[in-house]
Amino acid sequence: MGEPRECPLQFHDFRPVEHARQCPRFTAILSRSTDEGIGAGELDTLQLELETLLAAASRRLRVLEAETQVLTDWQDRKGDKKFGKLAEPGIGATAGPSKLVTPSGSKPKKGKSEGKGAHGHGAGGSGHGPGRPKTKLPPPKITEYEFPEESTDTPRAPKNDTPSRFWASVEPYCADITPEDIRQLEEIFNSTEDDSEYYKVPPLGRHYSLRWAQEDLQEEHKEGNRAAAVGSKKGVQGNPAEVESMLRRGEGGSGSAETGEDGCPFGPLTQRLVQALVEENIISPMDESPMPDPVTKAGGDEISATSPRSHGKPFRLAREEMQKQEVRRSVRAKDVEVLEVYRRIMQARQKKRTPSKKERDAAWRILRERENLLKQLDS
Amino acid sequence: MASLPADTKIVGMLAELHQLIKQTQEERTRSEHNLLNIQKTHERMQSEQKITPYYRTKLKGLYTTAKVDAEAECNILRKALDKIAEIKADLEERRIAARQVGSYSAVDVPRKTMRRGVLMSLLQQAALTLPLWIGKPNERPPPLCGAVPAAGDYVARPRDKVAARVRGPDADEQWILAEVVSYNSTSNKYEVDDIDEEGKERHVLSRRRVIPLPQWKANPETDPGALFPSQQLVLALYPQTTCFYRALIHTPPRRPQDDYLVLFEDTSYPDGYSPPLTVAQRYVVTCKENKKGGGRA
Repeated sequence: MGEPRECPLQFHDFRPVEHARQCPRFTAILSRSTDEGIGAGELDTLQLELETLLAAASRRLRVLEAETQVLTDWQDRKGDKKFGKLAEPGIGATAGPSKLVTPSGSKPKKGKSEGKGAHGHGAGGSGHGPGRPKTKLPPPKITEYEFPEESTDTPRAPKNDTPSRFWASVEPYCADITPEDIRQLEEIFNSTEDDSEYYKVPPLGRHYSLRWAQEDLQEEHKEGNRAAAVGSKKGVQGNPAEVESMLRRGEGGSGSAETGEDGCPFGPLTQRLVQALVEENIISPMDESPMPDPVTKAGGDEISATSPRSHGKPFRLAREEMQKQEVRRSVRAKDVEVLEVYRRIMQARQKKRTPSKKERDAAWRILRERENLLKQLDS
Repeated sequence: MASLPADTKIVGMLAELHQLIKQTQEERTRSEHNLLNIQKTHERMQSEQKITPYYRTKLKGLYTTAKVDAEAECNILRKALDKIAEIKADLEERRIAARQVGSYSAVDVPRKTMRRGVLMSLLQQAALTLPLWIGKPNERPPPLCGAVPAAGDYVARPRDKVAARVRGPDADEQWILAEVVSYNSTSNKYEVDDIDEEGKERHVLSRRRVIPLPQWKANPETDPGALFPSQQLVLALYPQTTCFYRALIHTPPRRPQDDYLVLFEDTSYPDGYSPPLTVAQRYVVTCKENKKGGGRA
């Protein structure tokens, strides 16, 4: 059996040995009743035939094991493959499911009437995404899998499969919405609830210049102490309170300016800048106390405000979309029926007889139903 | 071949064999349905040119069922083959016992007066019915399967067939087809009988002059490594004789029931070798000599 190009499976011939043809003695014995029994002279031929059967069966067993292994490996690989690496093989003439593309689960079957009803689909689907003119898809292409079996393939002239790759990459954007997708949306939203803690800004704490100055002084003290210990001199004991006062003194004008204004964290330059900007109405007067948690409060409100809102909106959209999909699907089914009736009428006309009343009624009925569905879709 | 002896034991075994065969066919019919399903699924998958998860899971399920069925079928077939071997061994024992006692059945010809033709067809039959080694998927072919050599300490049992290097009356040496009579473990020597005539004296030979013949045929499809490769130097039984001569393998067997094609060393041909002649797997063994063997029988 030949190897299909898309998959690594070798479709072996698993037909059982035709014992009627290849094992005549075996077959003959089978047809005998137990009373007749087997002649001792037949043992040799029987042995050979049984060996043939056993060889075939054990070969079948080995091949089955190998193929099952290939299938398992292939399934594992497919789970890991990123989307976009696959080439979408073309549509066969008959209906068939499209290839699995995302690891999250299978997509619903696409009716092949899509090809025929491309126009209807395009019209109905224009509000849903770029229409997929599947009629343009080229014949089946090779995939881009690398499988162990592929090395046994004879080298083939590289085909141009760019269009199929393109459509494969576009597919998730235009595909029908599934309950899976809705579940994923839910998951995403549930996870965003937990992000609110990230929005809290930690309190400012002491300004870095003060902190560094204090740390530097402490360093110096330590150095001094060490030197003092070595030189056995009496060291100056670093006193945190002293350090503070020293720092304050060191700060000089800027420090007094700060304390004077009740510990405003902004430096004088910044203050002047802010005042100037406020005067010119560029920025609104800011609250100059260290920012407690304005972001968290306001931001939290905002987010919690958006969250329930947005919680609802995509879901609603998704659900609406699903309903629309249902309707679209029934429209497509109706298209098929319309075509069927049309064909019948054409046949009747060919035979030079007017279509019967029944056919005409059926035609009108189907057309009207289709109209209704379309109206439902557009509403 | 001996006619059916009116012995209950053999009859009983034959009846068991018949049962096993019927069971085998039942098993095969049962699994046929699944195999047809696999075939249909293959066809569908190939015509659509798409392999979907649905198909893959389905195929995997079908394959697993088929595996179980194939294993069951193999088991029953093995049991049937074992039963055949049992019956044959039993028949053989009776034949020998009958010969020793001195009562011959109509078809059982005493060895002394066996005509060459009968001997040759017996040899051929023995070659054909050499059991085929069909191992389970992980089994390797055992010693004395095809070209796989015997274990270093292997001792041939009485009634095993061997190739024995004997010294003729005029001091020329020949490898003959012989049957082991006994083995003396103290002197490490075999007693062998020429398969051709019982009248000839028994030869007593050291172990290195005795090469046991294979007890299984190797299956070229599953164990091609157990076959002698092309161009290998071997000792092969010359057709219609009971002597082994040096030969080169021309073609190993392709199917289980095929024979080797070998080129015998023959100075009467311009290139020193005969045209390819067929020799069954049973009568091809390794050649360790480096000097030429004796003349043709």
